[in-house]
Amino acid sequence: MTAPTGRTPGGRGSLARLGFSDLEAGRRDLAALERYGPPPPDALLAILGRAADPDAATAALLRLLEAAEEARGDGGRVLLGELLEDEGFAMRLLGVLGASEALAEHLGRHPEHARELTDPTLGSTRPPAWAVRADLLRAVGADPADDLPVSAGPDAGAVDALRVEYRRLLLRLAARDLTHDVAVDDAAAELADLAAGTLDAALAVARSRVGEQHALARLAVVAMGKCGGHELNYVSDVDVVFVHEPVEGASPDAALRAATQVASQMMRICSEQTGEGTIWPVDANLRPEGKSGPLTRTLASHEGYYERWAKPWEFQALLKARPVAGDLALGREYLDVVTPFVWTAADRDGFVEEARAMRRRVVEHIPARDAERQLKLGSGGLRDVEFAVQLLQLVHGRADETIRAPTTLSALADLTRAGYVGREDGEQLHRAYSFLRTLEHRIQLHQLRRTHVVPDEEVALRRLARSMGYYNDPSASLVKAWQGHRREVRRLHEKLFYRPLLTAVAQVPGTEVRLSSAAARTRMTALGYDDPEAALRHLEALTDGVSRTASIRRTLLPVMLHWFAEGPDPDAGLFRFRRISEALRESPWYLTTLRDEGEVAERLAHVLSTSRYATDLLEREPRGVRMLLEDLAPRSAEDVGHEMAATASRQDSREKAVRAIRVVRRRELFRIAVGDLLGLTDVADVGRGLSRLTDATLQATLDVVARGVAAQRGLDQQPARLAVVAMGRYGGFELSYGSDADVLFVQEPVPGADPAAAAGFAQAVAHDVRRLLAEPGADLPLVVDADLRPEGRQGALVRTIGSYAAYYARWSQTWEAQALLRADAVVGDEGLRERFHALIDPVRYPAAGISDEGVLEVRRMKARIDHERLPRGADPQLHLKLGRGGLADIEWSVQLLQMRHAGRVEALRTPQTLAALEAAGAAGLVDAEDAAVLADGWRLASRTRNAVTLVRAKGGDELPRDVRERAAVAAVLGYPPASTDAMVNDYLRSARRVRAVVERVFWE
Amino acid sequence: MGKQEEFVLRALEERDVRFVRLWFSDVLGSLKSVAVAPAELESAFEEGIGFDGSAIEGFARVYEADMLAKPDPTSFQILPWRDEGPSTARMFCDVVMPDGSPSYADPRNVLKRNLARASELGFSFYTHPEIEFYLFKNAPEPGVDPIPVDRSGYFDHTAQSMGADFRREAITMLEAMGISVEFSHHEHGPGQQEIDLRYADAMSTADNIMTFRTVVREVALSQGIWASFMPKPFTTHPGSGMHTHLSLFEGDQNAFYEAGAEYQLSRTGRQFIAGILKHAPELSLITNQWVNSYKRMMFGTEAPSYICWGHNNRSAMVRVPMYKPLKGQSTRVELRTLDPACNPYLAYSVVLAAGLKGIKEDYELPREAEDDVWTLTDRERQSLGIDPLPESLKEAILIAEDSELLADALGEHVFDFVLRNKRAEWADYRGQVSAYERDTMLPVI
Repeated sequence: MTAPTGRTPGGRGSLARLGFSDLEAGRRDLAALERYGPPPPDALLAILGRAADPDAATAALLRLLEAAEEARGDGGRVLLGELLEDEGFAMRLLGVLGASEALAEHLGRHPEHARELTDPTLGSTRPPAWAVRADLLRAVGADPADDLPVSAGPDAGAVDALRVEYRRLLLRLAARDLTHDVAVDDAAAELADLAAGTLDAALAVARSRVGEQHALARLAVVAMGKCGGHELNYVSDVDVVFVHEPVEGASPDAALRAATQVASQMMRICSEQTGEGTIWPVDANLRPEGKSGPLTRTLASHEGYYERWAKPWEFQALLKARPVAGDLALGREYLDVVTPFVWTAADRDGFVEEARAMRRRVVEHIPARDAERQLKLGSGGLRDVEFAVQLLQLVHGRADETIRAPTTLSALADLTRAGYVGREDGEQLHRAYSFLRTLEHRIQLHQLRRTHVVPDEEVALRRLARSMGYYNDPSASLVKAWQGHRREVRRLHEKLFYRPLLTAVAQVPGTEVRLSSAAARTRMTALGYDDPEAALRHLEALTDGVSRTASIRRTLLPVMLHWFAEGPDPDAGLFRFRRISEALRESPWYLTTLRDEGEVAERLAHVLSTSRYATDLLEREPRGVRMLLEDLAPRSAEDVGHEMAATASRQDSREKAVRAIRVVRRRELFRIAVGDLLGLTDVADVGRGLSRLTDATLQATLDVVARGVAAQRGLDQQPARLAVVAMGRYGGFELSYGSDADVLFVQEPVPGADPAAAAGFAQAVAHDVRRLLAEPGADLPLVVDADLRPEGRQGALVRTIGSYAAYYARWSQTWEAQALLRADAVVGDEGLRERFHALIDPVRYPAAGISDEGVLEVRRMKARIDHERLPRGADPQLHLKLGRGGLADIEWSVQLLQMRHAGRVEALRTPQTLAALEAAGAAGLVDAEDAAVLADGWRLASRTRNAVTLVRAKGGDELPRDVRERAAVAAVLGYPPASTDAMVNDYLRSARRVRAVVERVFWE
Repeated sequence: MGKQEEFVLRALEERDVRFVRLWFSDVLGSLKSVAVAPAELESAFEEGIGFDGSAIEGFARVYEADMLAKPDPTSFQILPWRDEGPSTARMFCDVVMPDGSPSYADPRNVLKRNLARASELGFSFYTHPEIEFYLFKNAPEPGVDPIPVDRSGYFDHTAQSMGADFRREAITMLEAMGISVEFSHHEHGPGQQEIDLRYADAMSTADNIMTFRTVVREVALSQGIWASFMPKPFTTHPGSGMHTHLSLFEGDQNAFYEAGAEYQLSRTGRQFIAGILKHAPELSLITNQWVNSYKRMMFGTEAPSYICWGHNNRSAMVRVPMYKPLKGQSTRVELRTLDPACNPYLAYSVVLAAGLKGIKEDYELPREAEDDVWTLTDRERQSLGIDPLPESLKEAILIAEDSELLADALGEHVFDFVLRNKRAEWADYRGQVSAYERDTMLPVI
């Protein structure tokens, strides 16, 4: 090293440039170094400047020199001298001191270990595992050459010696890691070797604790998890499983006792806290039966367990099993016994679902506060990569032995080489995983604490960043790089399973290895596609060609496949996607929208794999895909009405105008359906939205038709005012997708008009409105049903308001008064609508309530309907409308309350079921609990009915009998897979409770 | 195909098995069996064997009749009672819908769901039944009184007794099927036997009870006698019960045990008992499901009629047996209402549900009954807060109809089916004119 220059070391400016934060303290510490030798030369300062935390490195160096001096008269001075002489030594020592507080402390206690880092071979040589083991065994006074090494000497001494030796070896490794660019997988492998040697040395101490009888059993320690996979962290629990066999002549019981003692002593020796600290906890909970199982088992007992009881995740754990200590021959026998289980695990029922469910649970269980800073468990974390790699190994490893490596990065490389993972994906994932693991290592190295959380204090971040080589704007650069890798993992994780499938069906440019079609089928099945052959055909069609669109589709498909697979009917989703894509083959915006707007693609995939109703609407006009970009809340009636009126006015015939109105209606139906499917729109808002949409449609159509009829008849002025009264569920704002619109038509001749001409005009208009809206065509017809009018189908389609008044005054029957409860004049002339309401209010809300005879009549009618209206063959338990506890039960109960009390209780005067129910509850007409049961039951039945329509594309009042449809309804309602009977059970429960309330409220 | 499935297929070859019986239970607890040839078994493991669910009591609505029986390979056993020539094996099945989701009508699934709830709270449920039954010399014939095989009494040892031979052979056969027997002896009634099964998790126990009932009847037939689990075959002799010891474990710790507590019974144990007591009237329909069940419950001694608990009190409905020092793991409670004609899957489900409810909602355990409750007057019982159990099937039905606990534990489908079935049974029974009526009335009126 160059001679000191003689000037004061580090002016403030240069210290800042070097990366010191506390310049004052830095200067003081640097000056203090002069107690042990000449002022530090620039070269040493430069090395300090590369340390992760120069302040900490300087302070730690000072403490080290002090300790060395204390240990031996001139120890500090000698050490500093060596440091100035040997640049390699300086780099290693200062590197460690700047990055690891814990190791700096260790050096403070054992200054003699500092000289370890003068070893020039550190930069080039990885210590072989056997040498590490030998060092550790010798440290506890055992002979590494023995078959069963037993430590000699006092126990406490051995336990401390083991800790000191462990740290010495760890120190050497940390120095190599920090200074000599050891690849992260190599560092992790060395850590695993170090752990294995430590376990063996701990066994030697344990044997001496147990005494002679330890030899009654052969005992092998099999590492699992990261240690087994040869990819350990700096600090983590070391997962192990014990296996033992009695030696010849020993009784099984005595052998079990001996093996259990040795094993539990070994665990204690590693984890117990002494003056020299602890090493790490040994965790044996991956053993059969976990905590409640015996600590060690014989080979036969292990085998018996895995044959009969083990769960899929336990086989996944076996993937990483590796004998590391004790009787290695026995350990290998264990492997021979359990390995076959690993490769048949994937064939078990529900394996993939269970594995994926497990991952979802893991993600859900991270405390929200840490989720964003988690390296390991969060979305895009290390666990994602490890899980994905293991799952792919289990799915394909049975047929292909070349991909069974236990180490994540090696396995990933193998999977990539064999074509199970796309080449670019594999490489990017490799980079991301290496980065995240390095970051994890550096975080843990600082205090040798087991943590997977990226710190958020500036000092810590800065130290981490510098330890990883980010010297410019360290914290910000690190966070940026970290987030980038995390995003990458998240993105790749979703596609990993799917992208190689494309290579099986298409000529993908590049040098990728093609996935065989057999492997592709296996994977499609594992992912939940029922008909992998057909699915691969659709994929082939979708990726056909070398054009730009084909290449966009190739990037898009893997993630679409993922989303379809999450839906209830993946096969249908893929097939429908093919049809939509073919219909939009010529539309340049289609694929780029999907590619650039991730949310649109996801929404589309969900809609396609769930709902035939929405898919049908979309297929009528594939451009609707664009709407997925938009706000999916139902639009207001005014907005839609304006748009309908405007578009109708541009057409030159009545027919065309109504068709234009229906186009707008279809599009809005799609919006409501998708909002419902995606869970964005509440069931009450769906009903309101559909009803408002029907209002707008009727209003626009009525205007167009009335103008047209007037023109046709050569009238300058329309001879009658017209209004449409919504009835039934339409009147209650409770339309569902499949419902007809029940209405009454009302007219009123304008003053001076000829009543006959007015009647003729109104009749023609009403007739045309119904005809034009119901006409079959590209857009869903709207059936306008006027059967609830006076005298039913025999009566006139349109009546004057006077005629209604006369009819209700003379003839009205109870059922008509009941039907009027849900009348709401919503369309047409405003004055006429008000007059109609004024006319019917006394009929439907009699001031004193209906008579006892009326009550009796309503009940008898309900009894008859229960008996007669249920369709032949329908299951009364599962009929959502007329069944036990169905919608009719609830609505009739509410209506009876209204008929009896609305004359008094004004709040009851509403056509809407839920509003009336709430009013009845508030007025004490039903108790709060009963009202809640009815309201919940109503919502559930309505939601279910809507879901049935969305799935089947035709109205259905009964839960579907087809199994797949039923499963899809369950999915729309938010149930997890394979729980259709759970949905049925929930509906039945709700309906049973509703029926019990109805018994009281309606029948008593 | 998993290792266990492969093991079964191998065993079929080696043991020359010609038929495999796939067993499951209908809602009332009758054993149902589908026989398949070994060749069909491989696809049975993968896809299940389709059958018409509407033909099984309580399983399906007519239109969704297609159901699948999926054999559980861990329950594979060679049936020991056809010892010559090619053998027959059996496996219990789970019943699933064609889309793979478990059927809510399958009693095994009902118990599975309830065990899963227990395990969410960290508990596993263990049971140990003492099953009583009668042996008769003659097969049942309408109008003929059954004749017991002997005239012995409780714990009697009789030289060359038919019952002892019978028990020996039945136990040998049970052990051959992997069912451990704890204890067996002659019971109070003439020809009445008791065999106790070893402690096991509730699912295994329920499977074992189903097997047990079959084995006992097979062995009886092979000896030319008749075995019956009818709860009360004689007016004058005691009925047959199925007292069951219950305990919950948390990991490997008995959750009912607490050192130093009264009777070493933990708070959890007390809450569990409180749950069973509070819901006892609701549970009756399931634990005692037949018209005949209620005739067992009105004569005192071993069959309880009143809702109470006691320590070593043989008149109590729930008994906390004598605690054995150094055996903390054996702390348990004995429920004495159950009879051997119940559906064990459903019975254990509802008992567990009631106990868990007691734990979750922290029920207070009523005071212990120290007297023989049979000897108390109605007023005394009333003042002690001891209510009677339902006295008839009708009463049990009326109480069960309003039970959220039953609906929840059984699932809506099974709940509804049981109610309909039991109403029909009661209506049938009500219409019968009995020997009693003729005997008491014809002579005098």
